[in-house]
Amino acid sequence: MADRGSLRAALAVFWGFFGVRKRREYEADAKDLTPAQIIVAGLLGALAFILTLLLVVYLVLKFAK
Amino acid sequence: MSDAATDHADHGHPVHPTGIMRWLTTTNHKDIGTMYLWFALIMLFSAGTMALLIRAELFHPGLQLMRPDFFNQLTTMHGLIMIFGAIMPAFTGFANWQIPLMLGAPDMAFPRMNNWSFWLLPVAGVMLLGSFWLPGGAVAGGWTMYPPLFIQGGVSYDLTILAIHIMGLSSIMGSINIITTILNMRAPGLTLMKMPLFCWTWLITAYLLIATMPVLAGAVTMLLTDRNFGTHFFNAAGGGDPVMFQHIFWFFGHPEVYILILPAFGIVSQIIPTFARKPLFGYASMVYATASIAILSFIVWAHHMFAVGLPVAAQLFFMFSTMLIAVPTGVKVFNWVATMWKGSLTFETPMLFAIAFVCLFTIGGFSGLVLAMAPVDIQLQDTYYVVAHFHYVLVSGALFAIFAGIYFWLPKWTGHMYNETLGKIHFWFSVVGMNIVFFPMHFLGLAGMPRRIPDYALQFTQFNQIASVGAYIFGFSQLIFVAVVLKAIRGGAKAPDRVWEGAEGLEWTVPSPAPYHTFETAPVVK
Repeated sequence: MADRGSLRAALAVFWGFFGVRKRREYEADAKDLTPAQIIVAGLLGALAFILTLLLVVYLVLKFAK
Repeated sequence: MSDAATDHADHGHPVHPTGIMRWLTTTNHKDIGTMYLWFALIMLFSAGTMALLIRAELFHPGLQLMRPDFFNQLTTMHGLIMIFGAIMPAFTGFANWQIPLMLGAPDMAFPRMNNWSFWLLPVAGVMLLGSFWLPGGAVAGGWTMYPPLFIQGGVSYDLTILAIHIMGLSSIMGSINIITTILNMRAPGLTLMKMPLFCWTWLITAYLLIATMPVLAGAVTMLLTDRNFGTHFFNAAGGGDPVMFQHIFWFFGHPEVYILILPAFGIVSQIIPTFARKPLFGYASMVYATASIAILSFIVWAHHMFAVGLPVAAQLFFMFSTMLIAVPTGVKVFNWVATMWKGSLTFETPMLFAIAFVCLFTIGGFSGLVLAMAPVDIQLQDTYYVVAHFHYVLVSGALFAIFAGIYFWLPKWTGHMYNETLGKIHFWFSVVGMNIVFFPMHFLGLAGMPRRIPDYALQFTQFNQIASVGAYIFGFSQLIFVAVVLKAIRGGAKAPDRVWEGAEGLEWTVPSPAPYHTFETAPVVK
């Protein structure tokens, strides 16, 4: 099971991709997370993003008439 | 070793060479920034003159002034020089001047490399411009350098490949300098998340440059070996694949679009809070959005290639990813508008250009979304709609941000206020002229007029004439800009340290003009 730090890093990166973050949560991120955590989460986030897009493409083509 | 007491003229610094040697040997970030900006201005006018020649030819259908081959040389060189000679060096000039001042650093991290980064550029610029006088003229295959045309041309093609290598080298060295300066030379207390947004956007841009310039170098090196050493990377007759070039080129080319616009985002993010007299809305989300845009820019490249026959799955992937990149960009536009909301706005020239940037760049962004749709793009590929789209992004986006930044920091650089009336006249001529040139191009593209042609069908005449008139208004109004800059250099009202009432940041704590050496003792940021 992912520990709290990994989950927080994943959440921070998710909001980072979206481009929005609440000030309170951003300040908590800045205090608790290390740059290495953010970078690893960012790379995994980018991979997940690409895989999600590929899945969407696969589903569209599968169900397209 | 010379005696320090005799060598040190003022403030304990060595005597500087004067005249041309000052500029050739300088390692001072302000001198180098100034040279970058003058170089960019010269290139802007060179490539701008080419644009005016193009618009003169297109005023009437039929061939009026030049041979088609020369027309193709003009369109190609206009693109190459504007991108690599004008916009990119202008932003590097801003980085050189402003990043040390904003960070409280005494100079860039590697001053000698900084000197070399700059002095490579005039060499490449001369090679590009000089190629017009070579046998066969300048390159004429489009700024994207696609084979087979780029494999077939004369000696100027080799020269252009070398120039691209040199400019890429300059960009990489400049980026190493910027990254090292930002990561290692910030004033005590200035954490990354307290940095001015301009430094953030340049930090991310520098990483993009380091990631993509070697890709471009690889692509043009393969062109070079195809041309001269018997390889067939892109030559279909020898088993190569010209479409592979397009993939490699656009893997560089799309991040390049963001290299051209992220520093503009940074400049505008400094200016809008100053003239709205409010802190930037959503600073952290602006940083995140910039990083997101940079990452996404690597997975959208093939939207430039919908018409080459990509599989449907690839078309869908790149269509979706391209549409999604609009989300963080939209966040930025929202934040700029929210910063202005209920602010105490005043409309000095930098703010006018910044507001025009927000409005008109958004038009370019929306036409980009239209082009992101694969079926629409296949209709509009290589039409004037695409020309309209990227000029809204690069003229009213990148160039207007450059103008905004120059007006914003010129008093700090020269010590004199610029002439506000002339600045506003320049703004209005530019914004009106720019829209007259490029807005009708949307209609021309939708009606089917192809780009990169010296002649066109009769039904396109009126919109072309409107665009040409706009081009001359826009082009000649840039002389006003030069007059404003020269006037401010020569004299004018004395600029205070904090030039603008709402200005925040370390650069406004030093005198105007900024002394030759600043922040020899690092300031402490609370």
